Amino acid sequence: MSARAIHRRLARIPGWTMLALWSAAVLLPLYILVVSCFKTTAEIYENRLGLPRSWSFDNFTNAWTRADLGQNFVNSLIVTGGAVVLTIVVSALAAYPLSRYKLGWNGIMLGLFLSGIMLPIRLASVELFTLMRNLDLLDSLTGLILVYSAIRIPFAVFIFANFMRVLPSELDEAARMDGAGETRILFQIILPMVKPAVSIVAIFTAIAVWNDFFFPLIFIFDDRYKTVPLAISVFVGQFRTDWGLVFASLAISMAPILIMYCLLARQIREGVGAGGGMK
Amino acid sequence: MQHRHKSSMKRTQQRMAVLFVLPALAIYGLFVLYPLAMSLWGSFFTWKGLRMLDFAGLSNFARLFVFPSSARLTGALWHNVAWFLGIMVFQNGVGLLFAWLLFLRSQGKGRSGAAFFQSLFFFPAVLSPVIVGALWRLLLAPGGVVEWTLNGLGLHQGSLTVLGNSQTALVMLIAVDAWNWMGLPVLIYTAGLRQISGQIFEAAKLDGAGSGRMLVSVALPLLMPAIGTLTTLSFINTFNQFDIVYVMQGVQGNPSYSTDTLVTYFYRLAFGAEGAVGITDIGLALALGTVLFLILSIGTLLMLRFFDRRTVQL
Repeated sequence: MSARAIHRRLARIPGWTMLALWSAAVLLPLYILVVSCFKTTAEIYENRLGLPRSWSFDNFTNAWTRADLGQNFVNSLIVTGGAVVLTIVVSALAAYPLSRYKLGWNGIMLGLFLSGIMLPIRLASVELFTLMRNLDLLDSLTGLILVYSAIRIPFAVFIFANFMRVLPSELDEAARMDGAGETRILFQIILPMVKPAVSIVAIFTAIAVWNDFFFPLIFIFDDRYKTVPLAISVFVGQFRTDWGLVFASLAISMAPILIMYCLLARQIREGVGAGGGMK
Repeated sequence: MQHRHKSSMKRTQQRMAVLFVLPALAIYGLFVLYPLAMSLWGSFFTWKGLRMLDFAGLSNFARLFVFPSSARLTGALWHNVAWFLGIMVFQNGVGLLFAWLLFLRSQGKGRSGAAFFQSLFFFPAVLSPVIVGALWRLLLAPGGVVEWTLNGLGLHQGSLTVLGNSQTALVMLIAVDAWNWMGLPVLIYTAGLRQISGQIFEAAKLDGAGSGRMLVSVALPLLMPAIGTLTTLSFINTFNQFDIVYVMQGVQGNPSYSTDTLVTYFYRLAFGAEGAVGITDIGLALALGTVLFLILSIGTLLMLRFFDRRTVQL
């Protein structure tokens, strides 16, 4: 190896060190989280960084049943699933004519949806609360699904319209000649052609809804309807002395997102890189 | 005949379009546009509980800017501004450095793990801020693992009270937020760097520019759209900051309001936890909401324009 090549390698060491340090900063807290799940609170104090003495699942079963995280988990799954499906269906329906018909009002309508991407909806929470109360949607998973869909629709319409606009017009024209209805054209021809858009919308809606804390905090009072982040915010105070249980509930609540992230890391990286698709 | 057929098809299309757009527009209009418009409108009225009473002109706003509210308002506003500046330096600045390091290492042979680092750095960003806040609250607590480590290394003695100290609490929250979102600038900047033609970097290299020089003089001006996106996103996010404060310091922004933000103050006014008795003040809450709405929309528009003008066309 020439002196110059060695010099070039050496010059890269500080850079690699910085990258390694931040990797440690990301991984160490997560490592501590994982090992602490299997320790009793006393063991957490004695043995901070080491592996647990035994791989006991007591904390997990306690969190799931005693602290009732199981119910919260099911609620979060229902709300997330419901909001993803509803957002995709209504946004695809709206984006299809707005991106592919000549209506004269495409631009205005798209602009109206688009403006919603930036609207600070939290500031409307007082009026939203009154509205939800009048519609009898407080303490209701349906209410959460509707609010989340409403918030995510602008981004979804924007993404769907961008992907649908560039499809060749012969696609739907040919199907129309064959007598296919517009609904069939959308769901059987157009939507399968924009699968990447569907997965971007599904992924980012799922993450945003699964993680949200603000709206359950305002709209949900009954323990039976609490979602995971709301339950966690209560645990942190309530089980302050039972660290093992809190760590285990954190691990349970991030598990679905972690699994999804490992499977879809590339799509997520590209989706974010393409325009900061996520808030 | 042909013409009539066409115009009837036009009409069917119009009807179909309305039917198709309606569900999305109804949900979005009812649960986003309507409450937002009503909130802005309602900030000009007096309120009793959740009932709107009489037109009050600007009196809610006047109350917002005088004592005792003014102290809360300026405190929270300053914390939001500090939060934004902190994120710009510690998250978006350091993130640019990481993106540049990864970009340099993914040049030439293969991909050399850049994708791995990107995925790793972005991982905390898919977690709920509630989980991130709760995790760091446990780690930073007195008797927690950070205290233990610092004591062990001899960098600190005794109980670690960074979250209970009004001098340091806000800085810690900003750091936790930066830990949470560091992957975002890394991903957006690397995507931006990849779009820059390799020839430009080759030419700079031939002129004898080192990698530091290349980042500042070549890459940075061409990254303006990415910088604009990130600055705007960070601005919107920091001025909506609520979750981390709530989970780590409580809705009062403890200790003694030193981590209070505009949205936590708004939440207390709207849903009751302000003052000792915890009475809501809807008029004040809506006025604050309107002010915040103006800050966010004007700020966002100015930023978009600022970065649009500085975008270099090649």
